[in-house]
Amino acid sequence: MLKQKILILCALLTLAALLLWFKIPVASSQGPTLIAARVTDALPSQDLNSALWQQATALEIPLSAQTVTRPMLLETNVKAVTARALYNDQQLAVLVEWADATDNSQMVRIQDFRDAVALQFPIVEGLPFVCMGQQGVNVNIWHWKADWQQDLVAWQDMNSVYPNMNVDSYPFAEGQNPAPSDYTDANYVPAYELGNLMATPHKSSVEDLTAGGFGTLTSQPLDAQNVQGHGEWNNNQWRVIFTRNLTSAETEDINFAEGKMYSLAFAAWDGANNERNGQKSTSEWISLQIGKPAPVTKVTTADTITATPPSPQEIAIPLGLIVVPLVLVILVRTLMGKDEEPSE
Amino acid sequence: MADVYNWQLGRTIPYPYPEAHPQKQFAAVFNINRCIGCQTCTGACKATWTFSRGQEYMWWNNVESKPYGGYPQHWDIKILEMLDAAQQKTGKPAQWDTTQTDAKKPYGTYNGLTIFEANDPTQQALGYIPNDAEWRAPNFYEDTSTAYKGDNLGISTEGASLPEHQTWFFYLQRLCNHCTYPGCLAACPRKAVYKRPEDGIVLIDQSRCRGYKKCVEACPYKKSMFRGTTRTSEKCVACYPRVEGNDPLSEGVPMETRCMAVCPGKIRMNGLVDIAQDGSWVESPQHPLYHLVKVEKIALPLYPQLGTEPNIYYIPPRWAPRAYLHQMFGPGVDQALERYAAPSRETLAVLQLFRASQKMVFRYEIQEGPLVHEMQIKGKPWQMYNDTVIGFDSKGREIARLPVVEPIHERPKERLNSI
Ligand code: SF4
Ligand code: SF4
Ligand code: SF4
Repeated sequence: MLKQKILILCALLTLAALLLWFKIPVASSQGPTLIAARVTDALPSQDLNSALWQQATALEIPLSAQTVTRPMLLETNVKAVTARALYNDQQLAVLVEWADATDNSQMVRIQDFRDAVALQFPIVEGLPFVCMGQQGVNVNIWHWKADWQQDLVAWQDMNSVYPNMNVDSYPFAEGQNPAPSDYTDANYVPAYELGNLMATPHKSSVEDLTAGGFGTLTSQPLDAQNVQGHGEWNNNQWRVIFTRNLTSAETEDINFAEGKMYSLAFAAWDGANNERNGQKSTSEWISLQIGKPAPVTKVTTADTITATPPSPQEIAIPLGLIVVPLVLVILVRTLMGKDEEPSE
Repeated sequence: MADVYNWQLGRTIPYPYPEAHPQKQFAAVFNINRCIGCQTCTGACKATWTFSRGQEYMWWNNVESKPYGGYPQHWDIKILEMLDAAQQKTGKPAQWDTTQTDAKKPYGTYNGLTIFEANDPTQQALGYIPNDAEWRAPNFYEDTSTAYKGDNLGISTEGASLPEHQTWFFYLQRLCNHCTYPGCLAACPRKAVYKRPEDGIVLIDQSRCRGYKKCVEACPYKKSMFRGTTRTSEKCVACYPRVEGNDPLSEGVPMETRCMAVCPGKIRMNGLVDIAQDGSWVESPQHPLYHLVKVEKIALPLYPQLGTEPNIYYIPPRWAPRAYLHQMFGPGVDQALERYAAPSRETLAVLQLFRASQKMVFRYEIQEGPLVHEMQIKGKPWQMYNDTVIGFDSKGREIARLPVVEPIHERPKERLNSI
């Protein structure tokens, strides 16, 4: 079952490599395209029911279970997400919707896992490996978390889930129900003391991250967190809006410009199925077109526009260099049995 | 996946990372026979490390009454059942082959599956996440024995006698085993769990942890725990400031951890053993832990079949059913109990070092004393000598000196009742 999936993946990757080698540009024919519609009004960053969303064409993107590296998922619960995108002079907003029978928006109890959704953009030219990018080819990830959304309303703590919990006192902390920041000696909440965003009160329900391969996912610093989010669960469905300025001063962030095309991938986690980290559903790369298509071949970031469009060969060789060794590695590993690197 | 050598199992096992061993390994010997179940160790750890919000349910050290008790509840039965289910699928029983033993495989060879072999291919190791109800009430079944067979009042008319009591329980003292091949470390997709090269202590990097609970899932001993307020996982830190000698009390030499040092039952001895590049213990016959684990082999690993090569060693309880002990401590049980019941002259002296100092003993010497007692144990003659054991710290300074026979000081007759 799993082997089969890996073999199919290998076959697909080999095909992609061969297509590239023979200068058949997969990049421009790759995946469906999500077109961001231009609006003049302020973007509906908190309004899921705004009429403005009707101006954007909805695109359904199929997801499949992550089976490349352990820990992995065999069957996916989130089979597809539907996305819409809007932009104005300053900002880009992406609305993602998917079916989920349960609302999992707290992470306090040991058995709790959150629902989540993520967008992933390559921040350098060329398409890196779709799962978390690869060494030297970083991706910018916007990760919306259902529990962070809930935390914005009220920080979820022990008494949110155990209202009758009885404790005599908490030494070195202020108040009866001290949050991490109420500790007079923050050493007793080490994750908070170290600035781990998991333990820190959030400014947004979206975490802005960088990754360059499995196991490298890193939160951007607190002051570089610049993606806003808003999500609601209703009628067995999550609807989540991501909003960010078109341009960002951070080197690890993607920049957008009107008329340009970018690459984008989606991932989703079903908390009710204990999904987290590499146990997730992912899409292939799709294209994101900001407004009307410009008459150039696709590039991946605004920073890297060249005067002349790159030839298929220029795309194919670097991509081939990436894909062929990858296929070889996966093939060798598949043949040698269970031996993947840890993921995320 | 790499193949790594697990000496407790006498064979290589698959592990996500290749062998890279620390220079020293944090280790301890617990003498189950002496534990009085006072939970002083449990309280000492709690008062030092886990008194903050989100840690209410955490007991990095706990003492559970076997066979029924467990924190989290039934943790060992659950993982053993999962292991067994996978084993059944192979159609072969999990067995120890004890026909050949040597220094590289002191207990023989284990042919069954470990948690790194019984896992489904989507995971790095076999495991499960106990829910909050399972972590609650850590003292369920405390002091609960098996039922007495034969009298409906539950009272024995003959009492109990060795080698196996009909009605029994014993205390099992547990903390993180700072395993050689930790399940927690294997499962963390972010490499947020690491094993320190200087002392083999296994820690979770609180800046990298993202609360995936993969370590909670894959630690077969359930000693990695999730903290709801920081949404990260935390675990026993082996009181590393003390082990490093950075505690103000320690005068710059490695000191035993909080849970070890407070033990009124004097059941615990904690230390650092030298590890060779191949992961074996460097021969050091005058190191008390080396003597008990490697020379006399009276202290045994807890559930070695899980595969992580745990580094807390137990002198098994003399009165418990052997089959139960074999499952828990492997095939070394019979020899360990035989030797513990009639300890060698040297072992008897080494046993005096338990809780003789808060500082770690790195070497001992024995000064011979007179023969004080002769008796028969299981039909064999046994002699007791009043030798004196001397313990030295990491800098070779004397830190303990104890005779085998405890000196008796009698209160003068006229003061018999005074306080
Ligand atoms: S006992 Fe568990 S938490 Fe401790 S090192 Fe071993 S696997 Fe990790
Ligand atoms: S070694 Fe220290 S941290 Fe670990 S259980 Fe003992 S007291 Fe707690
Ligand atoms: S302090 Fe010692 S005697 Fe008391 S329960 Fe702990 S290990 Fe047993």
